Amino acid sequence: MSIDFYWRLPTHGCHSSIHRGSYDRGDWSPISQHNIAPGLDRDDQDDGFAYIDHLAAIAKAAESVGFQGGLIPSFPNTDDPWVISPLLARETSSFRFMIAFQPGFGNPVQTARATASLQRATGGRTLFNIITGGGGPAQLWWGDSFTHDDRYGRTSEWLDVFRGVWGSEDFSYKGRFYQVDHGGLPPLFRAEEFPEMWFSGSSEAALQVAADHADYYLSWLEPFDQLTDKFARVKARTAALGGEQKCAIRVDLVARPTEEEAWRDIKLGFENVTDATRKQWRGQATDSVGASRQAALRPTEARYYDELIVAPNLWGGFNLLRGGPALGIVGSYEQCAAKLDELIERGADGFILAGTPHLEEAYRVGEEVLPLLGRSASTLLQQAAE
Amino acid sequence: MSINSYWQIDTAAEPHRSEPSRRPHLPGLIRDRRVPTQNRFDYYVQQAEGAAQTGFDGLFLPYRRDADESRIVAAVIARAVPRIGVIPEFPVSIGSAVYAAKQASTFQRSTHSRLGWAIAPDADVATRLAEGDTVGEEQLDERVDEFLTVARGVHSQRPFTFEGRHFEVKDGGFADPLNRVPFPTVFLQGESEEALSLSARHADVHLFRPQASGQALAGLIETLDGLAKRVDRSVAFGILQPVLVRELDEDAQSEAARIGVVKGTLVGSFDTVADRLAELAALGITHFILSASPSLEEAYRVGQHLLPRLRALTDTARAAA
Repeated sequence: MSIDFYWRLPTHGCHSSIHRGSYDRGDWSPISQHNIAPGLDRDDQDDGFAYIDHLAAIAKAAESVGFQGGLIPSFPNTDDPWVISPLLARETSSFRFMIAFQPGFGNPVQTARATASLQRATGGRTLFNIITGGGGPAQLWWGDSFTHDDRYGRTSEWLDVFRGVWGSEDFSYKGRFYQVDHGGLPPLFRAEEFPEMWFSGSSEAALQVAADHADYYLSWLEPFDQLTDKFARVKARTAALGGEQKCAIRVDLVARPTEEEAWRDIKLGFENVTDATRKQWRGQATDSVGASRQAALRPTEARYYDELIVAPNLWGGFNLLRGGPALGIVGSYEQCAAKLDELIERGADGFILAGTPHLEEAYRVGEEVLPLLGRSASTLLQQAAE
Repeated sequence: MSINSYWQIDTAAEPHRSEPSRRPHLPGLIRDRRVPTQNRFDYYVQQAEGAAQTGFDGLFLPYRRDADESRIVAAVIARAVPRIGVIPEFPVSIGSAVYAAKQASTFQRSTHSRLGWAIAPDADVATRLAEGDTVGEEQLDERVDEFLTVARGVHSQRPFTFEGRHFEVKDGGFADPLNRVPFPTVFLQGESEEALSLSARHADVHLFRPQASGQALAGLIETLDGLAKRVDRSVAFGILQPVLVRELDEDAQSEAARIGVVKGTLVGSFDTVADRLAELAALGITHFILSASPSLEEAYRVGQHLLPRLRALTDTARAAA
């Protein structure tokens, strides 16, 4: 069995340290002398670098230490993965571009064409994280007024059509949301590999669509028993359809030489969280089931960092430090590796890891944590037996 | 007036070049050490470098259904080649206008704002249905109108709300820093009344095809200029102009006879064709999208020999005016 490890490209800027809340890499916070990409030169003028230059550095770091590629998230105030991928195609060699994509963004036939062309540009390094959308105001911001269950129906049809035209020169389809009459990709594109589909969503509707269409079912890290249960359900549902479902986990980690150093960094980061950040994350409106599972942790109400330690080496306040999922892994290199090993035993076939700052932590996790995987679990079991 | 020159990179042209499955096969006698990472995109980048080095201001990438996607090629090129502008052509049937604008923002942020948008005419009904596009013929112009309204709207206003037949946004609009870059320059095309009327409202540059006479072109320019003035806008004028140039007129003519050229191609010596283009400039054309095949060799030829002559002529005309 081999496990797929991906990193993340932070498309909303990055922090030079987990201790600080300002996005001093990229231009999401006001630009001062210590900002980079873009930064200021000695005369306080724009230094000519753009955030894409920093993303290029992260992608190259990730591929060099052995990550297969990276998730490229897409939210209203991020840079866009569909543009980032071709921009970075020629300066990376093995890095796979996992494009976060909502079916509402593009016509499935046109998107299939563009994807095939991106496969040609990258040598087959394109894959997707299909997101059906969290609903609420964010969906209307995107110009998408579909209701929750309609959105899953549309996702399912979108994937039918995307796959249908990919493999065929004469594909017709009559759905509720999409109709195609004698479509298909042109001959030039037919040899291209169909992109892997990583699929997110925790609701019943989402699980069903994943069972039908996903290569990987992707979840944020959740308390381990809850996650084990969810993976088991997803795998059972796909098995009932005669398929085999792989599962993957998206998780941030703080890995340090010792556990003390790791918790110290968490503590310093937590103490610098502002009331504004707490307010931003408190009770975010969304109809997404995945988001409410995480919200049950209520990290915004914690007064001390250690109130959020939900299990050994698991901390539930990552969203306060960086946004995104709340639960993450904190510990020594060995402990982090052991946690990942445990998740593999509980059904994980792949991971999207991340740490802040993304560039330096790609090297650290790739060089210090990944090499310990597969060894630590058996070592720990051995120690326990002795 | 200053002249903007663009070279056309047609992804469907010279289909054998750098295409691993189609390039000429070398005999077994020759040790072939090419690697799989050498691919078609090398050729696109090489054309772009040629155009940039020979002084073109931008690249025009026509939308080709059976060849590489103009928007993907545009991004690859923009990262590989500094300074030169990139204008991918695409139809609005690609999908969400909000998403297209969002992509444009990242493109602009990553390339020092070198993106233009050329909206491709919609395909015939059979092709549209094959592409999952079920919008009726009579609504196509309306959809382009809404697409550009929404894309510009979310780019420049916050909150932005719009309820149309094809697109709908509520409390949208880009926040800082995505809204700091300029919206892409919008190129529209066509000679019909509807096309001109759409351009009057939405185009930064309107592209004409070569016309039967200077008079016909002048008429179209005058009409569009009038329509734009009525809505308090001004539109610049451009032309999609195939050329075949050689040192001597007779060489150009015999080459044209040999290979055959598309209707409207300007054929002649560097000086002859420069004169003809300068005449178009005198009518008000300021954006020249030039094309010839094979694209790489002709980019060097046109860039090195025709463009300097055209600039000299239009500079003289400007000084005289």
